[in-house]
Amino acid sequence: MAVADETSGGTRNQGSAPQAPRAAVIVGGNRIPFARTGGAYVKSSNQDMLTAALDGLIARFGLQDERIGEVAAGAVLKHSRDFNLTREAVLGSALSPETPAYDLQQACATGLETVIGLSNKIKLGQIDSAIAGGVDSASDAPIAVSEGLREILLDLNRAKTPVQKLKIIGRVRPKDLAPDAPNTGEPRTGLSMGEHQALTTAQWKITREAQDELSFNSHRNLAAAYERGFFDDLITPYRGLNRDSNMRADTTLEKLSSLKPVFGKNLGSEATMTAGNSTPLTDGASTVLLATAEWADAHGLPKLATVLDGEAAAVDFVHGKDGLLMAPVFAVPRLLARHGLTLEDIDFFEIHEAFAGTVLSTLAAWEDEDFGRTRLGLDGALGKVDRAKLNVNGSSLAAGHPFAATGGRIVASLAKMLHEKGSVDGRPARGLISVCAAGGQGVVALLEAA
Amino acid sequence: MTDKYTQLVSHGLGKDVAKRLGLPQPVVLRRYQPGAPLVTGPVLVIGDSAGADDIATTLLGWGLDVRRNALPKEELGAIVVVLDAVQHPRDLSKSVLTAGTSLRDLAANARVVTISRTSQSAPSPASAAARQGIDGLLRSLAKELRAGTTANGILLDDDLATTSPSALGALRFFLSGRSAYVDGQFLTVSSTSGMLPNDSDKPLAGKVAVVTGAARGIGAAIARTLHRDGATIVAVDIPAAGDHLAAVANEVRGTALQLDISRDDAGHRIIEHAIERYGRLDIVVHNAGITRDRLLANMDEGRWQSVIAVNIAAQLNINEALMASKYFKDAPRIVSVASTSGIAGNRGQTNYGASKGGVIGMVRSTAALMESFGGTINAVAPGFIETEMTAKMPFAIREAARRLNSLKQGGQPQDVAEAIAFLASDAAGGISGEVLRVCGQQLVGA
Amino acid sequence: MTEPQPVVLGELPSLSKLYVNAATTAARRRVMGTSAGERLPVVSHEVRNVLADVGNLTAYQHLVGETASDILPAGYVHALAFPVSMSVMNRDDFPLPLLGMIHLRNHAEQHAPILFSEPLDIRSWAENLAGHRAGTQLDVMAEVRSASSGDLLWRGVSTYLAKGVFLPGIDKPGNSNGSPGSSDFSPPDPTALWQLGLDAGRNYATVSGDFNPIHLSVLSAKALGLRGSIAHGMYLASRALADVGAVKSDSFAWDVTFEAPVFLPARVALDIATVHSGSGGWERSDYVAWNPRSGRRHFTGTVSALS
Ligand SMILES: NC(=O)c1ccc[n+]([C@@H]2O[C@H](COP(=O)([O-])OP(=O)(O)OC[C@H]3O[C@@H](n4cnc5c(N)ncnc54)[C@H](O)[C@@H]3O)[C@@H](O)[C@H]2O)c1
Repeated sequence: MAVADETSGGTRNQGSAPQAPRAAVIVGGNRIPFARTGGAYVKSSNQDMLTAALDGLIARFGLQDERIGEVAAGAVLKHSRDFNLTREAVLGSALSPETPAYDLQQACATGLETVIGLSNKIKLGQIDSAIAGGVDSASDAPIAVSEGLREILLDLNRAKTPVQKLKIIGRVRPKDLAPDAPNTGEPRTGLSMGEHQALTTAQWKITREAQDELSFNSHRNLAAAYERGFFDDLITPYRGLNRDSNMRADTTLEKLSSLKPVFGKNLGSEATMTAGNSTPLTDGASTVLLATAEWADAHGLPKLATVLDGEAAAVDFVHGKDGLLMAPVFAVPRLLARHGLTLEDIDFFEIHEAFAGTVLSTLAAWEDEDFGRTRLGLDGALGKVDRAKLNVNGSSLAAGHPFAATGGRIVASLAKMLHEKGSVDGRPARGLISVCAAGGQGVVALLEAA
Repeated sequence: MTDKYTQLVSHGLGKDVAKRLGLPQPVVLRRYQPGAPLVTGPVLVIGDSAGADDIATTLLGWGLDVRRNALPKEELGAIVVVLDAVQHPRDLSKSVLTAGTSLRDLAANARVVTISRTSQSAPSPASAAARQGIDGLLRSLAKELRAGTTANGILLDDDLATTSPSALGALRFFLSGRSAYVDGQFLTVSSTSGMLPNDSDKPLAGKVAVVTGAARGIGAAIARTLHRDGATIVAVDIPAAGDHLAAVANEVRGTALQLDISRDDAGHRIIEHAIERYGRLDIVVHNAGITRDRLLANMDEGRWQSVIAVNIAAQLNINEALMASKYFKDAPRIVSVASTSGIAGNRGQTNYGASKGGVIGMVRSTAALMESFGGTINAVAPGFIETEMTAKMPFAIREAARRLNSLKQGGQPQDVAEAIAFLASDAAGGISGEVLRVCGQQLVGA
Repeated sequence: MTEPQPVVLGELPSLSKLYVNAATTAARRRVMGTSAGERLPVVSHEVRNVLADVGNLTAYQHLVGETASDILPAGYVHALAFPVSMSVMNRDDFPLPLLGMIHLRNHAEQHAPILFSEPLDIRSWAENLAGHRAGTQLDVMAEVRSASSGDLLWRGVSTYLAKGVFLPGIDKPGNSNGSPGSSDFSPPDPTALWQLGLDAGRNYATVSGDFNPIHLSVLSAKALGLRGSIAHGMYLASRALADVGAVKSDSFAWDVTFEAPVFLPARVALDIATVHSGSGGWERSDYVAWNPRSGRRHFTGTVSALS
């Protein structure tokens, strides 16, 4: 927590000095296990899953009938009926119905952005407690009617006489009836996320072996964390699932290396990205309880970590200047610089594994002297990430990635890890989160043990 | 929730049919509802001792309709037979036969309660014979009673007055609907500790209670009942049962702690959670339990070990942590769930029987360790209780097990929970090291 | 070249009528064996006070991926001027058959942003009749001016080839005029991948009014000797222009050279490379599109700052 030291206190003009913002602490989190699409949550809606995750959080921290300052969550794949998704989930939960809520959406960074935004409100003194979260269902994804049918239906709605209506109905053609399912393609380029990453992976010369190894570690670390009971107070089962269904505790490098590439097959270079080193479509929800230290104390609740700061970045992937998922490469140095830190000062790295290639390209960019100089404006490379500190309890490759739910998963897990670690060399343990997102965006955050 | 058979035979046509076929005729038991009267009609207090007078006075003070002599044809809510002064088996006849003449006047779901002394503390063989005779007499009487009426006894150590706090606590428990499925049982009061609650509908007000295995079945009922009685609940269950656990915790406005009680640090985690969240820990209910049935000839090590680990080793381990903790020193309560299988045995349950017998041994031995700081430990041994665990039994066996008791029906999880709530209350401070069966007086076995 | 004589038309001609007319003219010429001569008509067609239809503009913007701003995309202006150009090429004295003409290149200059509400004067004429190794080519010019101030806002040059038509007096050039062979093309990493459905031609025809049968359906295209329907060149170029995005300044030149046609349905890979000037400002964006399976190049082009 920020406590002004004596010298700065002495030189500061007491009357007009702005109040040092309060700390935003992470009390804990809760998520439901992540399920592969079409699996355990096949009929569950975003609202169902978000409510389940909320109810688990409420049960863990005794928040029944509590009026929380504000709840913010979001989903990337959203039905139009879910226009007030988070508020509806709050109303369906055991929280006080007088708890306000809002939806937020920043593609895969949605979850992390809710944490940062609500932390800022806490720091500013607008609220004392908050719940951040996210949910996504690729199983229950909204299916839109075709553009043709949509226009016909809208016209039909405007038509006044039966004759007009009949005429309009007569315009329906069989092809109009084919549904329009959402895809993960980037609207501006038509390339899927995997195809985009394949370009970046090739550009940074990331090998198939390195990707498979990262994926293997993700599964192994996640399975070990489950065995250790690490998730006992982070997850509440749902629909009969009590572990992430994508996790393969028994996978091997041989198995991973036997998979056929699925992305980047039309590139000149060798295709290296497989279903094993890419995250599958997943359903799930996560929540994080944030508060001031005073609120946590008054409620007898733990203080795991504080949300120090966050930073967002975006890249011009449309014209191929940078890879679609490379924005965190730029956000992290800016965030570190603001706090006078280097990569060496970080004790845990949580780099979201959209694809193994994403993590490895990010690390490669940070280790690249030329890139550091020309693109990051540094004297040389940003530095090396100690692999022993990277995604130590597994990440999205093993757990899965229900887009908006990933931020909450990472924040709660990292907060617990920091709490367990306590201090390093006499200072609070630090953790860095990096989440890439569609649209060439990236959101990163810095956490510190409380 | 009453089983379908009980519902059917308790009403109109079904009742007639059942009667003619000679089928068992279970009634819908009177169960406790907050605010409901303690008993359903006047209470006849039998006995000439000073202790009997004191009881009559106390009952009057509770606002009950007390009779020292039966009025002809008056329907009674309960008969309390005070036998605290008997010296010889001959001394029993007067009071007992007097009670006998009033049995026909008992309403449905009425109560018979005896108050006497423990035979272990008897000054002479004749006294011991008289005291132990009450045991046989009461258990037999319980089997004669009909229509949901039960008979239970209170045993006092020698120097205790009939109105010592826990004697009155036990009397209230037996008279009330809280003891609906307790029949033919005794509770021993061994000290003057304990006190009756200010608000008899909130006997656990201000207490923090941990309930293990709270995600479903009996544990969920315990959590609900303790919450109803005013306690704040920490609901514990394995992580895999977390969704049901969360639902229970939210329902009782408590907190969920996903924890496998067989972990080494389980006791520590429980204390830490309770202290961090609520600053205190008063009650621990060891309810979590598993069955892995096999005839011993076919028993594998995994089945044996897991039952021992969860059902008894975990309780021992957690108790050790509790008793070492400075936070568990203010008249704390431990209540364990044993089983009639641990008393009478059950085919296919050598492992389970060992574990539940173990619970009983553990409770008796631990009682002495908790005495110095006013703590108590007791066990409740459920008989056939309608839960998901028993719903899995084959139909014929289940039907038989259900009916083979004096009340001719299975118990509800709430019945076990009520007994636990009582033993966890301040009123039971003088009761420790006891095993209370909640079995409707099972006919087989002990 | 003599300044063409303006013919002022009352309103924008209907393209579908022009196509029907072109078809009958072609048939008549085939039957009668007549020809229109060997010279381009020295005349320009003009339509005054043309106003964009805002609904149609929005549909166009959605289709090619432009933001639905109030400013007419350069490709939309081309589409607006196209009927006027067509009416020139549809004149009885126009020496080349309109149907089956191939679009070789297009050059457009946007001099100032055009608001959709601005009345426009559109003028078009043909010039530069020249030989091509495969036939005869010409440039169709178009100019769009503000009806109120008369300022030149947009200028376009579309180069077409009448394949297999050799007019007397116009020499075949050497091979130098041919497009660079696509054999030496090695595709870069794409920055975008377009999925074009069978209906891509019909969809663009609806918003642009260009109902040339080669774009509409497999059948209508086959009737004109193609193996299937092909995407409009200007649709492809307009999407590339939209993909270049907002870096381009208010005034820019937009060039495209068409090579292999895009048979529908198709996947088209695109690469856009942005070139910055010494001072760091945007200088131009080069684009190239190809078939991701065969590596065959479909078109190349540039959007560059107009100084
Ligand atoms: N149902 C009966 O008729 C009956 C009879 C006699 C005794 N009992 C005893 O009553 C208790 C509750 O029985 P029930 O019928 O409600 O059973 P149940 O199986 O419905 O519930 C038991 C609960 O304990 C939990 N549990 C199991 N192992 C655990 C562990 N290691 N850590 C934490 N939680 C664990 C389970 O997840 C479950 O939620 C048990 O001790 C059982 O032996 C039941």
